[in-house]
Amino acid sequence: MSNGANTATAAIAPGERITWRALSMNRNWLGFWFMLPAAAFLIAFLVYPLGLGIWLSFTDARIGTPGKFIGLENYEWIIGDSKFQTAVFFTLLYTFVASVFKFAVGLYLALLLNQNMPFKAIVRAIILIPFIVPTVLSAIAFWWIYDPQFSIISWSLKQLGWIEGNINFLGDPWNARWAVIFANVWRGVPFIAISLLAGLQTVPPSLYEAATLDGATRWQMFLRITYPLLTPIIAVVMTFSVLFTFTDFQLIKVLTNGGPAGATELMATMSYNTAILGSRIGEGAAVSTAMVPFLLAAIMVSWFGLQRRKWQQGEGDG
Amino acid sequence: MADATRALPSGDQSEGMSYLSTLPQRLVTLYLPLAIIVVVLLFPFYWMTVTAVKPKEHLLDLDTHNPFWTVSPTLEHINDLLFKTEYPLWLWNTMFIAVAATILSLIASVFAAYAITRIRYRGAQMAGGLIFLAYLVPPSILFIPLSTVVFQYGLFDTPFALILTYPTILIPFSTWLLMGYFKTIPYELEECALIDGATRWQILVKIILPLAIPGLISAAIFSLTLCWNEFIYALTFINSTEKKTVPVAILSAFTDGDQYRWGSLMAGALVGSLPLVILYAFFVEHYVSAMTGAVKE
Amino acid sequence: MTHRKTTRRDVLKGGAAFAGAAALQASHLSLFAEAWAQSSPWKPEKGAKLQLLRWKRFVQSEEDGFMALVAAFTKATGVPVTVLNESLDDVQPKASVAANTGQGPDLFWGLYSLPHLFPSKVLEVTDVANYLGKKYGGWVASAVVYGKSGNKWIDIPVGYNGNVINYRQSMIEKAGFKEVPKDTAGFMELMKALKEKSQPGGFALGRASGDGNAWVHWCLWAFGGNLVDAKDKVIINSPETAKALEYAKQMSAYFAPGTAAWNDAFNNKAFLTSEISLTNNGVSIYAAAKAGAAKGDAKMKEIVDDMDHALWPVGPVGKPTEFHIAYPMLAMRYTKVPQAAKAFLAFTMEAANYNKWLEAAVAYITHPLNAYDANPVWTSDKKLTIVRDVAKRTLTAGGLGSVGEKAASALADFVVLDMFATVCTDRASVKEAMAVADRQARRIYR
Repeated sequence: MSNGANTATAAIAPGERITWRALSMNRNWLGFWFMLPAAAFLIAFLVYPLGLGIWLSFTDARIGTPGKFIGLENYEWIIGDSKFQTAVFFTLLYTFVASVFKFAVGLYLALLLNQNMPFKAIVRAIILIPFIVPTVLSAIAFWWIYDPQFSIISWSLKQLGWIEGNINFLGDPWNARWAVIFANVWRGVPFIAISLLAGLQTVPPSLYEAATLDGATRWQMFLRITYPLLTPIIAVVMTFSVLFTFTDFQLIKVLTNGGPAGATELMATMSYNTAILGSRIGEGAAVSTAMVPFLLAAIMVSWFGLQRRKWQQGEGDG
Repeated sequence: MADATRALPSGDQSEGMSYLSTLPQRLVTLYLPLAIIVVVLLFPFYWMTVTAVKPKEHLLDLDTHNPFWTVSPTLEHINDLLFKTEYPLWLWNTMFIAVAATILSLIASVFAAYAITRIRYRGAQMAGGLIFLAYLVPPSILFIPLSTVVFQYGLFDTPFALILTYPTILIPFSTWLLMGYFKTIPYELEECALIDGATRWQILVKIILPLAIPGLISAAIFSLTLCWNEFIYALTFINSTEKKTVPVAILSAFTDGDQYRWGSLMAGALVGSLPLVILYAFFVEHYVSAMTGAVKE
Repeated sequence: MTHRKTTRRDVLKGGAAFAGAAALQASHLSLFAEAWAQSSPWKPEKGAKLQLLRWKRFVQSEEDGFMALVAAFTKATGVPVTVLNESLDDVQPKASVAANTGQGPDLFWGLYSLPHLFPSKVLEVTDVANYLGKKYGGWVASAVVYGKSGNKWIDIPVGYNGNVINYRQSMIEKAGFKEVPKDTAGFMELMKALKEKSQPGGFALGRASGDGNAWVHWCLWAFGGNLVDAKDKVIINSPETAKALEYAKQMSAYFAPGTAAWNDAFNNKAFLTSEISLTNNGVSIYAAAKAGAAKGDAKMKEIVDDMDHALWPVGPVGKPTEFHIAYPMLAMRYTKVPQAAKAFLAFTMEAANYNKWLEAAVAYITHPLNAYDANPVWTSDKKLTIVRDVAKRTLTAGGLGSVGEKAASALADFVVLDMFATVCTDRASVKEAMAVADRQARRIYR
């Protein structure tokens, strides 16, 4: 018996209005209507603005005035602007370093959690809290922790006798950079850990048992069993992580607003400051649009670089 | 598979068979690192809480009073927050916008996910891929032209600016998640229904949705969290103080021109986090499956 | 100068007492206000409502005084006024958005040359300015520069905030100085000694639009550097600028740690907890200390007695090069009630209102009209007299050049401040920093 869903006319009862029924059975027609709400949102508030943004980057628009076409002038300007160059540098550095740390710590944490222990569910639940709380609010907490005069970290280290004066967390360019990278890693580790944990839990324990019997060390087991099987999940998780880190805005805006002297400026914060605070929409749009190729490249690297040879997934079954 | 060139292990080195590792060993390799990580992850919240209830005079005076806890907790900061600022209003704004945007995006996602996985119209795979591509254009790239669009549609400085733009962030994620859930529902159920003459709409509402409730809850909760966490659109599209959302308002509310009121700032951050943490506490499993579900796609 | 100990009476004369005086104020004001409403040339429209957006107050009593003034206006004219408060740095972007989208508050009270960012979108108020100038002894020179765009007045420079050196007498004495030196070379010696023998001082190097801009422009101008010349030609890349940068760099080595992350609030905090001995600020630190002392805080009382204010030292240029904050109030052209807006602007500057407000602000606000030199607040506390003349002493935004859209843009983009910050934090050499500033300035001033 043919599958009723696949033909347009199979389920039509005799005598019914053929057209409406036929239509409502027609997959393409249905598909169109079902997709419409999502498509409407995405086209009106994503595709159109994307095109508009690219157009704006070729104009000298300011807030309220549409501006006229000026070709590549905005791009020429920002490429030669040392502030923009610094922002690109730091965005890439921030993304790379934070992602590497998030991956390392996240994987380590996932491995820890994968082991047998009491209260595992509670620990797992607690671990996610930094991810649940809105970034801005945790950033404010970090702001207070990084205060130049009243930081709890400085105070504790002074009490322990390890340092003399207060640590200038956000006032020194490189300190500020590491400080924001730390905050970003702090926030991102839970997501990576929990996702990788789910992946780890799909690895059959029998593999480990067999390996132990064969005399493998823990490191060998990790390298040969765990990691290859995790690769697809790692690729997905890290690609997301790279994406969100590259386009981060909130953390930097709250903690340093790009300071000191532009040392922690990201492309996202720079485009905001230029377009909204400086009123130069065209130039800000150019900075935003310039993010896209870098973003694409970063994602390609992450996605393709982390995928291992696919056939390794099937290795070791049973 | 593994290099079998080593002698048989003494038994203490194995992993995966946890009875073989001793307690002292586990203390060092498992519990200690885990404890350190948990402390680091939770310390900012502890600090937030302590500061929120510490009396003003003690806040900047680290030497006379141990900063790690407070001997005379006070509710004055929270009091200031709730009664002397428009915090309850901001809380309401944020909740309202999050719920409305979540509902809209869920509706759109359910339809889209169903269409892609079940209806399998021409180009369904491509549509799925396109939705994924939506992720490549995150808010921090779109906010400038979007602010122009929002203004053109007359939505500037209204909650609708956010309610209508947040779904663009939420839909890709929810669609993916729901696609995964729908795929796990046996197709035979639908087959029977189709043979019996049900329309797609009926199938969706009466069969699929009830079975996908865990997935819907996961998607809803994750979406709510994403809305609360959103910042750049809220900062750019809303101007008037009384319409602001909590993350945006907190930043500007407690700076007296040139003095920060850390106690109230921390109280604001704390109270702002509570709704989500409470929601999370009730729905932990859904949360985790939302994250892992999307990632597995 | 002799250091007169502050007595209880002085403390009481300060902000705290105005809680009681506010009540008196209100009734005083309303009598005057009604009379004023009869005679004012600007009669508000029927059913008018005004919305004013201002920077969040730095001194509580100033805000109380302002709100009393607003209440009196409402009583006199029947026009309700909603006052919105935003942080200082948010006023300009909000005003820009409002100006260009044609909707928002009717009145804005902002900084420096805010209305010059969008001169065509602002209500012309030449009539109000002339009326006030005639009645109250004339406008000071800088007020005219800030207020006028071409031949028309586009805002009323309602007040200035004197940004002066705040210092702790005991701490500079510990460093071997009886008073703050009046020349830049001596000042450098002071900063060095403070760091070595006492508590260090510090000036903001973060994007602090008030304090940060004030000190870097003082420094730049003191050595003869300028962003543009009188014809708006960019001249920032010059040996004079280099000298200023080198001076700042040398001085920044003596700063307290953390200044690169300081915005306008950080130096207040650090000063009030005795972490630093010297900084630049308005008199709000003093006011905050007084308020705390009035509540019984012994530490605050110690600071009230110990601190004082000093004028900026004079550089090789040979004359004062101070940059005080101007706070212009402007009305938007899109307002539906222009007469009401003008009435409010005039009302604010009328003697019966403005005098009371100046006193409530405990010298945080300085007047732009000469008649107000006689206000008692200038003699109430010797430590406050110093800011009486800031409106007359200040140079204007844009330095030698025009106070217009370009100067406003340059300030908004922190061109000068970033130049100093990158040099002082070692992120760029003097040459590089000047080149970057030059490039940015040329784009703005083309």
